[in-house]
This record gives sequence, structure tokens and C-alpha cells, in this order.
Amino acid sequence: MHEIGVVIEVIKTVERFVKQNDVTKIDTLVLQIGELSSMIPRYVEACYPAAIEGTILEETKLKIEIMPANALCKNCNKVFNIVEHNKICPKCSGEDFDLLSGREFMIKEILAY
Amino acid sequence: MEKYKVLEIKESVFEDNNHQADLLRARLKKEKTFLLNLMSSPGSGKTTTVLRTIEALQSEMRIGVMEADIDSDVDANTVSKTGTKVIQLHTGGMCHLDADMTKQGIEGLGTDDIDFAILENVGNLVCPAEFDTGASKNAMILSVPEGDDKPLKYPLMFSIVDVLLVNKMDTIGIFDFDLEAVKARALKLNPNIKVIPIVAKTGEGMAEWTDWLRNEVNVWNEK
Repeated sequence: MHEIGVVIEVIKTVERFVKQNDVTKIDTLVLQIGELSSMIPRYVEACYPAAIEGTILEETKLKIEIMPANALCKNCNKVFNIVEHNKICPKCSGEDFDLLSGREFMIKEILAY
Repeated sequence: MEKYKVLEIKESVFEDNNHQADLLRARLKKEKTFLLNLMSSPGSGKTTTVLRTIEALQSEMRIGVMEADIDSDVDANTVSKTGTKVIQLHTGGMCHLDADMTKQGIEGLGTDDIDFAILENVGNLVCPAEFDTGASKNAMILSVPEGDDKPLKYPLMFSIVDVLLVNKMDTIGIFDFDLEAVKARALKLNPNIKVIPIVAKTGEGMAEWTDWLRNEVNVWNEK
């Protein structure tokens, strides 16, 4: 379970953002987590209440958007989900691809007053 | 009730750590201390490799070691017997070191009389790969008993390191381990990776590793 250390990183970044922008109260934090990221959304949710205690994010809600592991087939240019298709293009059976999304772990936005 | 607004942040979660790491790297460059971040699974032979590295290079440069573990100081104890300056960092349950913890370690070690600092990261192939420590170069050890499928299972680690040491090569006859397969898998993830087979226990193959290190340390500390 390494999610808590990473969630603490998230809090640091949000604290910096809040200081630079005129924010009084945060309602919700929105994260984007890729399917291939080593962060497991369920664990991020589980450690969130503990990580935010005593910080600027205390009593805020957490929303997680999952980013699909999509790739572009180098052979036929089809966009496909590599988790679903086991890294093999469903159109041409090619195994060479460029990953388009799925690794990210981003702080997307905050909903604030 | 006041209506709330949406504030876009759009920052990678590792942004803050990456920033700290860049600051630390710049500082180390200025203070002429080369920092190596050494990563691997538990039991792959990190400490033995560190000992052999110290033996090979200690007459040429001033070396310092930071041992990072969740608990205990057995590694620091072992390394301190070589007479090298060593400090033990406790991560307190955390499975990796981040740039801020590394900075604290570097401050504990001091850079005035250190040309080459080795950070022995927590034994783990997952999280240390995601956190830039601020090191000048990154290396990892894969030991033969762990299996040749590790680049497939932990791709990120293999894609971020400059050097892959394949340790315990003397046991290759006991385990089904295909060195060529490891090389091919690692190179597919990371075309610039340097793969060096070693036996840390006996020192076999260590010359190629210490030659690489000597060159990197000199380049880093030159200007």
C-alpha cells in the first residue's frame, strides 16, 4: 500500500495551488487515475480520510476519474484499449503500439468556494 | 449557499516531488557530489554490491552511503565496517524515498567531503520507480533467483534506470534464467539501458560497473 505517500504528495500540491489562488473553502478534489497507473483507486479512496486530516483538504470529498489504457496501433492506426485486448490490436493483431493514455495520475481540478 | 467554482489544476501528482528532485540535483551538481540511486527487490544483493563498489573506488574518491530501510540499521552497520561514512534513513513504513527525504539524507551525510554518494533505496521494484530522488543517475539490481520475467512485471523500474546489474550470475545453472531474454526485454522498454552481469559476492564483472561509475562521477564533478 503505497497510496498514502502519494496522496500526501497530492495534498502538498493542492496546498501550494490554494496559496497561489484565492480559495477559501474546498468542496471536492478531482483526480484522474490511469488504468495502468500503480495507484489503485479503491486504496486511494480508503486512505484519503486519514491523509487529509489536519490539512487544508480536511472534510473534502474525493472524486476519481479513471483514464482508459488506450493505444494507437502502429500498423493500422486503430485506437484500442490494451488492457481489454491484452496488448494485441483487435483489428490487425499487431503488437506494436504507442500508448495514448492510461499512465497518468493527475490532479484534475478542485471544486471550491 | 454560495455556488462553488471549478478550479483547474491539471498537474501531475509527482509535480511537487519532481520539482524538489530537480532542485536537489542542481545543488548536488554545484557542490560536486554525484548521487547514485540504487534500487532493487529485497535480497537481491544491494548491500553486497555497495560493499564491492566501495572497495573498488574508495582509494580514488570520497564515498558516502545512505541506507534507506523501513526499520533497523543492519545495512548501515555492515557498510560502516568499511570505514565509509554512512547514515541510516528510516522511512517509517513508507515503501520508497522521495526527493525531500533524500535531501534530508544528503544534509545528514554532508557534501563537503563526499564526491560520490550512494543511496541504497528501500527494497522494492514498484514505488521507488515513481519517485525521482534527485539522483544524478539511477541503477537497479535484478538477481538471477528473482527470474527473467521481472522486466515484464515491473516495466516502469526497468524503463527509468541507466544501468541494470544482473547479480548472482553464479547461480544461473540452478535457476531457469535467460540473460538474453532479460536484455531484450529491458532494451525494449529502455533502449539506453546498460546491462552488466555480476557476481557481487566474488566481485566478478564488477570492473565494468565501477568503470562506468568512475566515468560518471568524473563527468558530474568536472565543472
